[in-house]
Amino acid sequence: MSGEFALRRARPLLGTLVEIGLTADDADRGQQAINAAFEQVARIQRLMSFHDPASELSRLNGAMPGEVLSVTPELYAVLSAALRFAHLSDGLFDPTVAPRLCTLGYLPRHGFIGDGVGDWRDIELLPGNRVCLHRPLHLDLGGIAKGYAVDRALACLRERGIDQAVVNAGGDLAVLGETAVPVHVRHPHDPIRYLHLAELRRGAVASSAGYFSARQHLGAWVTPLLNPRSQACLGLDVSISVFAADCMTADALTKVVAADPDGADAVLASCAAHACVLRIDEDAAVMPTWLSGRAWREPCAVGREAVRRV
Amino acid sequence: MQNNWFIPLLAAPALVCVAPSYAAQYLTIEQAQKLMFPNADGFAAQAVALDARLKRAIKERSGVAVRNDSQPVWRVQAGGKQLGWFIVDEVIGKHEFITYALALDMSGAILGVEIMDYRETHGHEVRNAKWRAQFKGKRAGEAFELDEDIQNISGATLSCKHIADGAKRLVALYEAALR
Repeated sequence: MSGEFALRRARPLLGTLVEIGLTADDADRGQQAINAAFEQVARIQRLMSFHDPASELSRLNGAMPGEVLSVTPELYAVLSAALRFAHLSDGLFDPTVAPRLCTLGYLPRHGFIGDGVGDWRDIELLPGNRVCLHRPLHLDLGGIAKGYAVDRALACLRERGIDQAVVNAGGDLAVLGETAVPVHVRHPHDPIRYLHLAELRRGAVASSAGYFSARQHLGAWVTPLLNPRSQACLGLDVSISVFAADCMTADALTKVVAADPDGADAVLASCAAHACVLRIDEDAAVMPTWLSGRAWREPCAVGREAVRRV
Repeated sequence: MQNNWFIPLLAAPALVCVAPSYAAQYLTIEQAQKLMFPNADGFAAQAVALDARLKRAIKERSGVAVRNDSQPVWRVQAGGKQLGWFIVDEVIGKHEFITYALALDMSGAILGVEIMDYRETHGHEVRNAKWRAQFKGKRAGEAFELDEDIQNISGATLSCKHIADGAKRLVALYEAALR
């Protein structure tokens, strides 16, 4: 399907605005594809929302330690990916940090059993889409499910014959098709100003930063971006964008890069991903650092000098 | 293969290209009506005046304050029968200004929400003051260039709580004035 009609729609989903843009031969077919893609996103939200006490994730969080539960293939797929990223990053990505996020006020307290103490190693995936939590964990897939939802939406559009589309779920963004689209990222200190980050085709980018979510807790600024090992809040003065072939990978790896920008190279390499870390230097200039699986990029002051990707 | 999806870019010069605001128009009223009620053959405008009594009633039911004095509402019809209600509403967040449409069936159940118009507002220097105070006078010093072609912003994560609250307020309006 080539593009005579350009459609752009947005709905409030996943706690943010999800936008789908595409071109299609036929406006009705394009709209139907968009409706189906939004329905996919809504389904992921129903399954994986931490906030919704009726979600499948909440059912898992309410299970007794040691109990074996059957889950949907979608939840199983995201849990499998979460454990893979946790393993690759030695726990810098960890889907079990919810108790700290509840303390900081970012997630609601549902009165699940126990205090949620434990980590990703206490999650066991069993054949046949079955899951067993060996401790009373509180799982939160907020660091990965949005990217998964974007991938599912894009797959849904592709299945309906769309070959040029962009899905953007509050900054987790994926592009289908050969036409490159410009991607902007928010200024870390001034989030309604935008910096041109890249031209993207057939791939995904996700960004994490504290600018909209930072709040004060016991006199200190905190964000929902945590280092699972130290429990320190990240992203206060920095913005992290990760490029990968799929949006779930990009989404998850922003947390790994945020927790340890200097040590993220190996993980990025193993996922064929790249990262751009934007910091503000003492002169208030934006300083991009490019991390890649294959080569380090030294920090480069913004100015006349160009940073070219290899 | 690894780099197929990544086009070489000129990151540094591009990074000084900063725009002051972002706006997206998704749907006109007519487009939203057709999208949300494809089988309808008529939309009768029936704005609801929000007097003090009604505002109080809506606030009591929804817990959300009512700011406007009038609500644009359409009675949706097909073949002489009413299908539901189509309501246009606006919400203002910390940085964003959003116009959206809400579709209700005859029982007041939400059939759908579609964003019609999204704008990020100016005046952020003031609104963002508390957040910026931690940087102790540091200010972004880039050249200020207008870029009209912003379409895809990574790292947004604007909350849609205001829309959720708005929908709650409109369902309360239905109960108080339309049912």
